[in-house]
Amino acid sequence: MPVPGVPILEGLYPSTLDLYPFEAKEFNRIHQFYENLRQKRFTTTKCKKCGNVPFPPRVVCPQCNSEDLEWVDLPTQGKVLRFTEEVAGVPLGFESPLIHALIDLGVGRKLISRVINCKEGQLKEGDTVKLAVYDVPPMIIEKRGGVMEEAPRVFFAFEPVK
Amino acid sequence: MEDVAIVGAGQSVFARSCGESIRELCFEAYKEALEGLDITGNDIDASVVCSAPEYDKQRSPSGLISEYLELTPKPTFYVETVCSSSSTGLRVAWSLIKAGLHKTVAVIGFQKMSELSSRDAAERMGRGGDIIWESPFGITMPAGYAMYARAHMARYGTTEEHLAKVRVKNSHYGVANPKANYRKELSLEDILNSEMITSPLKKFDCCANADGSSCIILAGGDVAKSITKKPIWVVGLGAATDTMSMAGRKSLTGLQCAQEAAKQAYEMAGVKPQDIDVAEVHDCFTVSELLAYEDLGFAKPGEGAGLLEDKETYVEGKIPVNVDGGLLSKGHPIGATGGSQIRTIVRQLRGEATEAQVKDAEIGLVHNIGGVGQYGNVTILRR
Repeated sequence: MPVPGVPILEGLYPSTLDLYPFEAKEFNRIHQFYENLRQKRFTTTKCKKCGNVPFPPRVVCPQCNSEDLEWVDLPTQGKVLRFTEEVAGVPLGFESPLIHALIDLGVGRKLISRVINCKEGQLKEGDTVKLAVYDVPPMIIEKRGGVMEEAPRVFFAFEPVK
Repeated sequence: MEDVAIVGAGQSVFARSCGESIRELCFEAYKEALEGLDITGNDIDASVVCSAPEYDKQRSPSGLISEYLELTPKPTFYVETVCSSSSTGLRVAWSLIKAGLHKTVAVIGFQKMSELSSRDAAERMGRGGDIIWESPFGITMPAGYAMYARAHMARYGTTEEHLAKVRVKNSHYGVANPKANYRKELSLEDILNSEMITSPLKKFDCCANADGSSCIILAGGDVAKSITKKPIWVVGLGAATDTMSMAGRKSLTGLQCAQEAAKQAYEMAGVKPQDIDVAEVHDCFTVSELLAYEDLGFAKPGEGAGLLEDKETYVEGKIPVNVDGGLLSKGHPIGATGGSQIRTIVRQLRGEATEAQVKDAEIGLVHNIGGVGQYGNVTILRR
């Protein structure tokens, strides 16, 4: 179906409007993170030279510039430190309530994540949440000769531990 | 080296929907900025154009705006730090003049948000965050500041009523500002009973998207004195950043980028928080104004709400803040906002803020934040 006002978009993949990262190995050097995610592993890189473990994962150690890094697992459970339930005006592509939380993974690491599978009013500060991995729409990659290939994708959020 | 002054400051009316194209919108602010000056467009040596690009259909808007203002063939370029773009523009213009490259520079900020649906605008706003690690969650500025509000409440006992008092004040002053989008006085109950947006922030805790433009004209000291009787001197400039990802923040009870920018600006100007006669702070949300009181040193950490209780940030108070209605009343056309804040302080220091003039204001401060505390800019002006 043609898009009103933008008939040229029919059948095309508008990459700059894509909501999710370009996860395929053709487009970034941390695609292993998404491969691990597919196995329900939440990972980052550790520098074999200086032991630095940054998150998000890197391709060069920001501390010592070493390229000798290895993939290590992070905890897949954490505690909710702060959260907000967005009930109005959520961005295009998302549904209300859209719940965001600052999560403490322990091991001195915090991250911002969405909390899914959770009703409005259900979450409390201090609750335990666990990693949830889900499929998102595939990315379309244009190969030689204009052939369009679909690269499957996953993304992550956290969900309450029942 | 020559000092740098603001010689002209203008803005369009900020409106939910301006009904004009970005070039027409920019001309309004430019026209007001030139009013009363003994120069014409021919005397402007360069322009810096500021907006957040994700809302624009037009790519490379600086060339277009420059042409429409008939500034061609003078150099022009584009500067962006999301919501603080035009404060960054002022910083760049100051440097161009200080370096001796140009004598007179126009900083033009604009945003036209009405071309997008509000949910589309929200989605693009989210792309001002980290598009690999945070935007895919759908997180946007309201949700980010909501978490700051939660953290401030948990640590200091700040209440939703405290936050609402920011809007009570700003709505009071917004009524008198002919450039503001929202001009109704709101009661504490109106605000506390308004619909929830993202807990604990309610509809009236949030500023509205708007269309608007601003223009600040700066000149070196000698030129400034020759073209206006009331140059306003740029005496303090501070700029800092914090992590794009909110997970990287040291704490959520204050904006570190604002604290650092304030420190730099106070030091450069040789003044202290108590020397400031009037301030414009980035109240994109009620909580943002409260954080600003503390980050700028108007109150100690955790004591910002006390300034509101004692009405110390009203015109008659110890440190009047956002007495033009703030972003909460004016609306927040991203790229134009910093220039509008600067314009308000310029009018205050010139004694021309007829709607709500702070008596004998001599030193003013502008606090302008990009994103959820990613970019902090503090500017101190003096008459």
